[in-house]
Amino acid sequence: MLTPLFFLKRSRVEATGNQADQPPGSEFALHVKGVNKTYPNGVVANRDVSISIMKGEVHAILGENGAGKTTLVKIISGCLRPDSGEIYVDGRRVEIDSPLKAISLGIGMVHQHFTLIPSFTVAENIALSLPMTGRLSLDQVKERIKSVSESLNLKIDPDVRIEQLPVGLRQRVEILRLLCQDVRILILDEPTSVLTPIEVEDLFRTIRELKSKGKSIIIITHKVREALAISDRVTIMRGGRVVKTLMTKETNESELASLVVEGFCPSLKIEHGGRGEPLLIVKDLRVRGDRGEVAVKGVSFVLHSGEILGVAGVAGNGQKELVEAITGLRRADSGTILVRDFDLTNRSPRTIIKKGIAYIPEDRMRRGVILTMSVSENLVLKNFEDPPYSRKMIMDKLAMERSASELISKFGIKASDPWISVSSLSGGNIQKLVVARELSNGASVLVAEQPTAGLDVKASEGVHQRMMELKSKGVGILLVSADLDEILKLSDRILVIFEGRIVGEFSRDNCDIQKIARLMLGASA
Amino acid sequence: MGLEVKRSLALSKGTIRSLYKAGISIGFALLLTSVLFLLTGANPFLAFYYIFAGAFGNVSLAAETLVRTTPILLVSLGLAISFRCKVWNIGAEGQLYMGAMLGTITAVALGNTPLTLIISLLVSIAGGLAWASVPAFMRAKLGINEVITTFLMNYVSIYLIQWLLAFPFRSPDTLFPESAQIPPSAVLPVLLPYTRLHLGVIIALFVALPLVHFLMMRTTFGYKLKAVGENPEAAKYGGINVGRTMFLALIISGALAGLAGFVEVSGIQFRMRPSLSPGYGYTGIVVALLGQNNPVGVALASIFLAAIFNGSTTMSRALGQPQGVVDFIQGVLVIFVLASEYILRYLERKGVLKV
Repeated sequence: MLTPLFFLKRSRVEATGNQADQPPGSEFALHVKGVNKTYPNGVVANRDVSISIMKGEVHAILGENGAGKTTLVKIISGCLRPDSGEIYVDGRRVEIDSPLKAISLGIGMVHQHFTLIPSFTVAENIALSLPMTGRLSLDQVKERIKSVSESLNLKIDPDVRIEQLPVGLRQRVEILRLLCQDVRILILDEPTSVLTPIEVEDLFRTIRELKSKGKSIIIITHKVREALAISDRVTIMRGGRVVKTLMTKETNESELASLVVEGFCPSLKIEHGGRGEPLLIVKDLRVRGDRGEVAVKGVSFVLHSGEILGVAGVAGNGQKELVEAITGLRRADSGTILVRDFDLTNRSPRTIIKKGIAYIPEDRMRRGVILTMSVSENLVLKNFEDPPYSRKMIMDKLAMERSASELISKFGIKASDPWISVSSLSGGNIQKLVVARELSNGASVLVAEQPTAGLDVKASEGVHQRMMELKSKGVGILLVSADLDEILKLSDRILVIFEGRIVGEFSRDNCDIQKIARLMLGASA
Repeated sequence: MGLEVKRSLALSKGTIRSLYKAGISIGFALLLTSVLFLLTGANPFLAFYYIFAGAFGNVSLAAETLVRTTPILLVSLGLAISFRCKVWNIGAEGQLYMGAMLGTITAVALGNTPLTLIISLLVSIAGGLAWASVPAFMRAKLGINEVITTFLMNYVSIYLIQWLLAFPFRSPDTLFPESAQIPPSAVLPVLLPYTRLHLGVIIALFVALPLVHFLMMRTTFGYKLKAVGENPEAAKYGGINVGRTMFLALIISGALAGLAGFVEVSGIQFRMRPSLSPGYGYTGIVVALLGQNNPVGVALASIFLAAIFNGSTTMSRALGQPQGVVDFIQGVLVIFVLASEYILRYLERKGVLKV
């Protein structure tokens, strides 16, 4: 079967092809030596980390969540100060004490969450980060954008507002902004996590273009295939240490996977089929988005018990509004949502939770947890009003603690104590917490929105494992994801959503990845 | 057992931070006040000594400080509930007046019956609650910012009451715009002879304080308050009715402010006057912030502010300094309380403090 790997494989060939003309042992653009970083809360994020980036090389840093990748690049880009260690740029020892300093040394980072102002145009956004002389000359900025983008084949209209651009192009603007600042070492933090397969292909083309112009690119990823597809060399990090640096062409997927997660072997058995009676019926649903526009334009589908129904689509095509209407967080204009013949349209979130709809939200930091509250308080967010956690309005902390300790060990959440605040957990562990809460409530329907976004191999595997367990127990799962790999791996049936409409339905037997990818981008089938 | 120990340790870390923050706020506020004293030619040490002596110098002074603590504590306990939910009730002053006015009207109307006190107290609670329910409704249903509505309703309340006291409810026996005297059965009994220490002190410290503490720390409502205050989006997702929780938080704080108003009438003034409160509704804001919405912290902060209120009278008499220093201290306290988190983080980063 064809998978999105298809794209990646092709790009790998090209990447390694380019790599062949790279003379080995060329000068280091960046050399990091013996960096240590311990956070105030005692977490050791980097231990004696050393890494060298050559000029004109694509260097992947591969590792699980919490392996220390982001800490390392934050140190390199001046967002964090190391406790000890040395950094050399072009052979000169430097102190990088601010992002501005990093930029002046030619080091820039594209963060996972973009830092563009949506209502500004491309040129205005880029002008913001260029040195100010008091008078703003947008024409000059545009001129600069034009010359930089033409030399690198990065087409962009400088007068278009950021909010009108798809995610892939926003990322391109981020990259362009750094290039306009004469950055020579670009750091990309999990750049593909928000992109569709076709956009990933575009990004990789850009990366290769940059490389051919002599720029060095550090790409942070937890996806082994991605590292294989694009990089010249790959450095594996685990537990805050550098495990190994390898030439990409001399390694393979299973070697890398086993280095990333010590002794990892994928053990998940995916079983498809075996669906039961209809569970969740959505009929002719129309929902408005935040700006009053109709975001979901008459969506209908049926989710059966024991079925995983994938909803594939580029972010911003109505998935968010659809999910929010089902979970009661947004009003539906018209249409019906039925669960086991019970009408849930526009009922309160509480009623919907009580009717057995669990929901793993995409934005786990903002919606999934309350960061300043403790792990055990967060674990009872959806059932603190039920026994044994409370009786007659009085909370039972002992019962909360008991159940929290149980879930912490069952789901492998790394929390030293059930009463520790969630803000001290890593992103992956926060997701485990959300998953633990949503999967342990005995729900009959699970709405999972990007359930493994930003999770490492092992944690993703764990989440998928739980989803398969639920499926075998007859739970119906609506899987909404922009990660086509994940949708293809898990779903029994796939719906493609584009501009608020279901534009295609595929069963496992007639699943055509090319066609799905095209439909996601709005091409007619 | 092991978990129990750990939990108490984890709790104490947060508490230590809170204490540091309170200490930083008070320290900086007093430091700045000292500068003010120096500028006006007074010895700051002497000034603070007189403030302390004036507040706690002997039994009757200490009793007066507790009397002063009572309305401040009642108001700020309510505000702690509302602030915990990040509902910024700036209207406690108006709610206090409304509770006091309605309580007084009830007490005068009922006359000398055994139930007068209890009924009037309940009416004052209802009065504050009702006054707060207007902005609460606007906040919960219409999304109108409660800071503006609660604050503006202070003026409505206070001017309305001035009119009520000037005309319909003017005292028949004095010439002043004030209410008739409340009947003896509506008076809160004095606990300590030769002082004004009245039953209201007990109501505030030993009834309201434990109740609010229990409500905030042990009940599902306390959980909802915190969840809505810390992350309304997640609270909604968790099935909590965010609007209702905000509504309740605001009207409960109004209820306690209303109670504070009538306790002041029936414990101290015995008449409703337009000058009933020297700004307790605003002092309550300072106290709730300084006590970081923790009922015990709020109690300690109430006593602190009450002591400054009372002590500064003595200080101003002894050193010829203006009494307005109370307002000055309150003002700078607010600023430093709000800044304390950043000051603490700065000190931690510089390695001066380790928490």
